[in-house]
Amino acid sequence: MSEAEELPRSIMRRVVKYKLSRCSEDGEISVSKDGLLAFSESGRIFIHYLSATANDICKESKRQIINVENVFKALEETEFPEFVCPLKASLEEFRKKNARKKVVVSKGKEDEPKKKRKLEGESSDKGEGSEKGEDNDKGEDSDKGVSGDDQ
Amino acid sequence: MDNQGHGHGQNPSMGIVGNGPQLPYGSNPYQASHITGSPGMVVASPGTIQSTGQPAATQLGQHQLAYQQQQQQLQQRLQAFWANQYQEIKKVTDFKNHSLPLARIKKIMKADEDVRMISAEAPVIFARACEMFILELTLRSWNHTEENKRRTLQKNDIAAAITRTDIFDFLVDIVPREDLKDEVLASMPRGTVPVTGPAEALPYCYIPPQHAQQVGAAGVMMGNKPVMDPYAQQSHPYNMAPQMWPQLLPPPPPEQQQSSPDQ
Repeated sequence: MSEAEELPRSIMRRVVKYKLSRCSEDGEISVSKDGLLAFSESGRIFIHYLSATANDICKESKRQIINVENVFKALEETEFPEFVCPLKASLEEFRKKNARKKVVVSKGKEDEPKKKRKLEGESSDKGEGSEKGEDNDKGEDSDKGVSGDDQ
Repeated sequence: MDNQGHGHGQNPSMGIVGNGPQLPYGSNPYQASHITGSPGMVVASPGTIQSTGQPAATQLGQHQLAYQQQQQQLQQRLQAFWANQYQEIKKVTDFKNHSLPLARIKKIMKADEDVRMISAEAPVIFARACEMFILELTLRSWNHTEENKRRTLQKNDIAAAITRTDIFDFLVDIVPREDLKDEVLASMPRGTVPVTGPAEALPYCYIPPQHAQQVGAAGVMMGNKPVMDPYAQQSHPYNMAPQMWPQLLPPPPPEQQQSSPDQ
């Protein structure tokens, strides 16, 4: 198994320590290195197991994309029905956050064209001047050239 | 003098007694016979003391009352503030932010060749579900750690949690076999562990019906006394271990059985 497929141990340690701190009030509980590795591995296998089940459900419904409903059904099928309610709540939170982000992004996009127009206006003014200058230079060169030919 | 006093920020009436002529403390306007105190001491008339003393006392009382009221108001404000703070803290339930990386989860999902397309919200759910699963596994592992009176959560605790819980059956591959065997043996009651091999591996031995009735379903004749075999299977009444064959004796003739032992 490549290291890219492993779940980050730092986060796993944080999750485990958080739970252990709530389990026992009387002192610090340590987690052995191989224990942490086992947690990480079990998390990875859980994701594989759940995704495979969700994929089967997705195929049964003759769809190609695994969506949230497939995952919830997979959780019930894999005997983790108590996870469904909190997951639905966290999904709602995620959707709300996304909606806020979209509003902020859309506002930003609305402001951007105005700025672009202003910038374009400024650049066009400058551009006209530069174009005139270029024409003058060309004219001078051509005159010189002509004059040179005449001589 | 006054200007200097004012310049230093002193009260101009300091060092002066009563409303009479302004005299410094050192001067002695009265005769020594009238004064019982020390010669340098200045005593004002009782009337002057009363006239100046009463307003000061009332002012002090008023100040104290005002101060107490302010203190009470401040305390009330503080209490209200902290009450609001506690309510806000109680509202916030999710202090932790342990979200697993979505890209990594997507990679793990894509490692399966059958999985093709995933919606944008699916990895978010997977991350949260994985976190909840780890929390559940941690709790069950910690129970085993506590049973063994340890302060360090080890791999065998996770192994024990997996073997004890049916819904974690898909994780049996991550547990070493030795640990599994130990755990299974520890969890099983002693009577259920078979000493001999499986019943199908043992050879058959024919016992006549009369003898079978005397001995019972799973018994061995030792002389004339039947001895019960505790490990014999009820489903195979004629299964006997090879070392037990010579001990099987033919049934005695009916004459001997009927005759008394004295003859």
